[in-house]
Amino acid sequence: MSSAGKPALLVDGKRLDGRGLEDLREIKIVARVLNDADGSAYIEWGKNKILAGVYGPSECIPRHDQSLYRAVVRCRYNMAPFSGMEEHGKSGPSRRSKELSKVIKEAFENVIVLENFPKTQIEIFVEVLQSDGGTRCAAVTAAAVALADAGIPMKDLINAVAVCKIDGQMAVDPAKEEDNYGESDMPIAFSPRTGEILLFQMDGMLSKDEIEKGFALARKASEKIRKLQVEAIKKVYEEPREERFLVISK
Amino acid sequence: MNGDELEGRIVMPGELLSDKPERISYAFVDKGKTYSTVVGLFSNGKLVPLEGPYEPVPEDVVVGIITEVKFAGYSVEVNSPFPAFLSSREIREKFEMGDAILAKVLFVDEVRSIELADAKKLPPGRLVKVSSVKVPRIIGKKNSMIDMIKSATKCEIFVGRNGYIWIAGSGNANLAEKAIRLVEIQAHTSGLTDRIAAFLRGK
Repeated sequence: MSSAGKPALLVDGKRLDGRGLEDLREIKIVARVLNDADGSAYIEWGKNKILAGVYGPSECIPRHDQSLYRAVVRCRYNMAPFSGMEEHGKSGPSRRSKELSKVIKEAFENVIVLENFPKTQIEIFVEVLQSDGGTRCAAVTAAAVALADAGIPMKDLINAVAVCKIDGQMAVDPAKEEDNYGESDMPIAFSPRTGEILLFQMDGMLSKDEIEKGFALARKASEKIRKLQVEAIKKVYEEPREERFLVISK
Repeated sequence: MNGDELEGRIVMPGELLSDKPERISYAFVDKGKTYSTVVGLFSNGKLVPLEGPYEPVPEDVVVGIITEVKFAGYSVEVNSPFPAFLSSREIREKFEMGDAILAKVLFVDEVRSIELADAKKLPPGRLVKVSSVKVPRIIGKKNSMIDMIKSATKCEIFVGRNGYIWIAGSGNANLAEKAIRLVEIQAHTSGLTDRIAAFLRGK
């Protein structure tokens, strides 16, 4: 992104939206919001609004994609036509949405207990209704809740968060402007149980020290996100609802 | 899951269950410690999932729908990720596509394909689909829950271990379906039998 029109991203240690360097945006997660998906979740992460639905395991079609040893994971990440993000927010298949589908799929292939379900497929659908930077991280976080809601066995409840370098400082969870005008952006998905990295991408340049600092920030943030995921799942059972539809709060 | 009153803490995938390697269903062992793989209720070394696909076990009685008539038998849909087959050798009756049957799981092979046996055709009725992990609650302790629903609604109800429930007969099938739905969404709570009894009386 060109630096034309770049706002000051850090003023007196505060970011554009008033956050400190280690603060996440406000995150709300609701599990089990769709009637006909096996598992589902809705997440509001800052201005991002994302719906995740999970189907399966079910018979894998076409059959030449089947494995006799494990389930096949499929993922479709899609942005709604009205989701914003200008040029790359276009709906439908694009280079970007293919890439995100692939990285999200690969993150989950490493946590789902695939050996339990030979010859089957597990489908993850992620629809971005509104985007404001960091949709892949929000998508992974929501999809993990949806998979847990579907009762699909996983070795961990994972989540993802990005770190960035803005005006020379490492900060957690970049919003759109920070992503566009910042020096670097680094989304990371963790398995909180083992600390393993399941998704790792980077835009821009960072020194070794900065990457290490970024990891530390992301780990800390990831723990906070996991608490919210657990709360969302527990709420399904603590306050059972007759209809699964998303209930809009008063 | 058994029909007893449920208690225990809700655990998440990846949550530590034990510091020792233990054989617990729906759990796995990593570096000598045991972790959960599902959202479930954990108590007294037993983990009960709160949601999940039907995983067939021999001797399970299931309700299925015939989806295909083949030369040697029938393909049956049994709410499982894995295909089920009913061999003509195992039965005397003939079925047609769309028939609802009650059958027993005879055998599950290494890629989890299901062989059925002892099939019988079900009388005309309706299918209610619930999650298979809720079935023990729908049956209740010594059939208490399902007997109560049957006698209150005067329906014939066939409960498959796979989460397919067939409601037949001339009784109040709508009420029976509602009661079953209620058990499904409240399956993890205690004092459920009393609440369902009150619900059935209220109608």
